[in-house]
Amino acid sequence: MTGLALASELTKREVVTLSGEAVARIKDTVFDAGAGRITGFTLSGRGLLAGPLKRSLPFSGVHAVGPAAVMIPSEAVLEDRKAVMRSGGSASGGVIGAPVLTDEGTEIGTVRDLVVETGTSGRVVGFEVAANAHFDPERRKVFIPRGQTLAVSGEALVVPVSASHFVAADLPSFGGQVEAFEAQGRPGGTHAAPLDEGGRA
Amino acid sequence: MMLFTQARGLPVITADEASALGKVSELTIDARTRSIACLRLSGAARECEVVGWDAVASVGRDAVIVRSRAAVEAGPREAPEHREAVGHRVLTEYGAEHGTVKDVAFDPVSGRVLTLYTALGDISGERLVGLGSYAVVVHADPR
Repeated sequence: MTGLALASELTKREVVTLSGEAVARIKDTVFDAGAGRITGFTLSGRGLLAGPLKRSLPFSGVHAVGPAAVMIPSEAVLEDRKAVMRSGGSASGGVIGAPVLTDEGTEIGTVRDLVVETGTSGRVVGFEVAANAHFDPERRKVFIPRGQTLAVSGEALVVPVSASHFVAADLPSFGGQVEAFEAQGRPGGTHAAPLDEGGRA
Repeated sequence: MMLFTQARGLPVITADEASALGKVSELTIDARTRSIACLRLSGAARECEVVGWDAVASVGRDAVIVRSRAAVEAGPREAPEHREAVGHRVLTEYGAEHGTVKDVAFDPVSGRVLTLYTALGDISGERLVGLGSYAVVVHADPR
């Protein structure tokens, strides 16, 4: 039961207990320092004018992140907002807007969003990147797998040059690209799947 | 097997005096036991509005027979808050939508929930996890 979702799409998703009660909505997704994993969610109330909640949802308390709702066993898993923010890094891992460079020093574009695995893992599998004119003359948004050897900071994201061959133009085709990239095992290999006309590899 | 939509509106009659208590307006499911916990009646005296399943003698095509008025007035052992299942959205435990409940089949003898019918397919009552104000939660299809 895994698929991919953009971190921004998780915002406003209902948080529902297994007994069928909606308790909150996702306000923001909190990532660890390297933006490798979701550490939790901050929450807002469900009403139209409801503000942020004092309690947050650590990822350890999540039963599953689904396409329609984030499921939790019960309201008891909610914790103090500070506990979630302290154990994690910042919302969106501080990488949104950061420039993306290859390890050969070419700038590809800037990070627009994070791609996370739904289900129970909370893994960040890649990034949605607004490509610059140099990388893609049409300046489309592209998806780049996170890979294993990548460095992430608030200032920039460095991806292995091989990862830039595994870009995909939409989320459904990105799932296959992540698998292909991970199957390759050693980033820097020679397998490449360049973009074709439709943007699909 | 009987459907919620068939049971609704049935007159509720006592077996000992053959007096009518009211009509079935709602069937309340206890998600933990995956069974009907009680019936809610309309047009009934206040002390007979909630009929525990243990007071029900049988559910037939034309009427619900309860053992006695006294058994009904004793009240159900526990009456969970009524959560409507029919018309409610279905979520799997993995947070995926699975349509809305169109009807519910139950065993008229044991009160067990047999099947939830949705536009996206039938769900065995065994898969029921929770029934809340937001959604009916079910175990994901084992297939």
